[in-house]
Amino acid sequence: MSDFSVRSDNVDVEQIMRQIRTRIREKRGVDYTEEEIRELANVKLEKFLDPRGVRSDLLQQYRQVRESAETARNYRFEDTTLYESSRAPVRWLRRLLRPILKLFFNPNPLIEALHIQSRLNESYNRSEALSYELIHNLVLELTRASIEVKNLKMRLESIASRLDFDERRARALEGVVQYRPGAVPPLQPPTGSPSQTDTDGNERRTRRRRRRGRRHGGGAGGAHGEAGPATGGGAGTGSGQGARDAAPQAPASERPPSAPDRSDS
Amino acid sequence: MNLAVVVQRYGADINGGAELHARYIAERLARHASVEVITTCARDYVTWRNERPVGVEPVNGIPVRRFPVAHERDPDDFGRRSHRVFEQTHSIADELRWLESEGPASSELVNYVAASADRFDFILLFSYRYYHAWHLARRVAAKAVLVPTAERDPAVAVSIFGPVFRGVRGLMYNSPEERAMIQGAARNASVPGVVVGIGSDVPERTDPARFRRKFRMERPFAIYIGRIDENKGCGELFSHFRRYAATFPRGLDLVLIGSAIMDVPKHPRIHHLGFLDDDDKFDALAASDLLVMPSYYESLSMVALEAWALGRPVLANGACDVLKGQCIRSNAGLYYERYEEFAQALYALESNGPLNARLGRNGREYFARHYAWPVIERKYLDMFAALKRGAPAAMEPLPGWMARRRRDVPPANEVLASIPSGAAILPPEGGSHEIERAGGALAARADAWLPPSGGRAKPA
Repeated sequence: MSDFSVRSDNVDVEQIMRQIRTRIREKRGVDYTEEEIRELANVKLEKFLDPRGVRSDLLQQYRQVRESAETARNYRFEDTTLYESSRAPVRWLRRLLRPILKLFFNPNPLIEALHIQSRLNESYNRSEALSYELIHNLVLELTRASIEVKNLKMRLESIASRLDFDERRARALEGVVQYRPGAVPPLQPPTGSPSQTDTDGNERRTRRRRRRGRRHGGGAGGAHGEAGPATGGGAGTGSGQGARDAAPQAPASERPPSAPDRSDS
Repeated sequence: MNLAVVVQRYGADINGGAELHARYIAERLARHASVEVITTCARDYVTWRNERPVGVEPVNGIPVRRFPVAHERDPDDFGRRSHRVFEQTHSIADELRWLESEGPASSELVNYVAASADRFDFILLFSYRYYHAWHLARRVAAKAVLVPTAERDPAVAVSIFGPVFRGVRGLMYNSPEERAMIQGAARNASVPGVVVGIGSDVPERTDPARFRRKFRMERPFAIYIGRIDENKGCGELFSHFRRYAATFPRGLDLVLIGSAIMDVPKHPRIHHLGFLDDDDKFDALAASDLLVMPSYYESLSMVALEAWALGRPVLANGACDVLKGQCIRSNAGLYYERYEEFAQALYALESNGPLNARLGRNGREYFARHYAWPVIERKYLDMFAALKRGAPAAMEPLPGWMARRRRDVPPANEVLASIPSGAAILPPEGGSHEIERAGGALAARADAWLPPSGGRAKPA
């Protein structure tokens, strides 16, 4: 946790909030502002995306379909709509005759139903707008993700080429090293020649088991040592232990004074 | 001096914001004047059903006169009319029908106050948006002092309220943001008005340890006090807090006090204690590290003022102009508009003891300077004295029969969108609010208040 101290009697809340926002910006490590992302999202998506996967003109297509729809988007239907007229006398007459009309049938359920339908239409229109928003955001996020993938690919390529260069350099340096008698022999890789493994392997394992038995002494240690390969202890305790048991390091005196293994070069 | 306080509901057991505000003001002004409260028989603000007896009864020593409501509110009808007025081009007649539908429609109350207006020097009308306030503001404009308790909702932009805001004798605002909003909507800067707000009966001594023992609260916690409701921003609070709790596993708990209208998530660090009495509430506030106010709409947050009175900082929703403005003016709280800001600000308040204490101290000073009862009472009395010296403005008449039915009034939502918003940072009247700016002497280093930029941090 960061250390801090209050240095004066006054604090400025606005300044603290500015610092908080600066810290958030730093943490996010924004490469692109929201405006830039939007701008990029409006660019042909083929630049970033596989055109077979996502249509770059998805938004435009969707908008066109919505705008070219022939049916009316909605109508207004209030309790006065049935009696409305552009001519005032007609309106007045209808209002006057409304009680008489109501003697013949009850228009209220009709008004109510059409009003509800109007509200439903409105709700549908709203949800359609939400779908548009959803697709828009989807395209935006896809653009953002594709940019990130592209950046990561470039980073991966760069790291791979550096790794390749380092490997080559290491091999070149290994080639320069010469063995001199009397110097400390270089470490041997854990694998010996096939013939050694075949002929000496069993004997070495036996010797090793014996040594381990002596080291542990009797009791539990002995039991553990005796279990050895028969109980599958090596395999059971994980590949690490098993591998170590199966490929023991020969003592330095038993190793042939050969050059380092370069089987991979 | 004789004063009438007119409010939609009234009672010792009614805790709605404006109603409680009215009761506090009536009881405080009763020390300086003869006060009569005039209200309806309603108890439920959704239906306005008549549940209390008609007539006069004393409440905490104040005579309260109740009148019946003519009809209950029909939610469907009100919803339809609200939709028309808020969303569609409509007429003034539509707005008047909307007002009638909203209620509480009590022509008896209006007639009584209008007939006995001569007995009163001033008539305090609470909550501009209700039936009684609109009718009485027009009927007794020369004596009407309006306490709007307005939030940033479309009702403030309904055109019939413009003449009321311009025609009453005076206005007692809750906050500079409320005043800016009403002046933006009604162009009533010439009407005498003052930002007053309301005080609170915060106890001299609190016992945080008693609260911790009683409710077995051992860990440090942030507190939310109020109705647990989606409309109060609680959904967003829960979402933010759960993310925060996952990021800071050893951080603050969240304690909720108030009745729940929505589901409270089951989380080991969220504790809902239900509705508590005042003693427990204030002890809880004193035991907390900070108060969280997630509400989007407030005309004045009484609970934030109470937190400041007890020296606790506030973490407020910055989307609410009033709360943000209060935090900035008081220098006693931080605010957030999205999760990252919530997490950073909460962490700063949680982990930085000196900052927390400094903000708390600023809050205490801010409350004492602006919201202590003597200050509130003095502002009311000064306002009455100033109004007695001045002449009343004329109330604009309603348009004629035909003009009232002309459908040319824009939707209230459109009008509201055109009204400037944001926290009022500048002092509202000739520096009556002194904003303490640190200037060059910033209290602490920027990084010191913030959590480390990577990984999880251990709270202090």
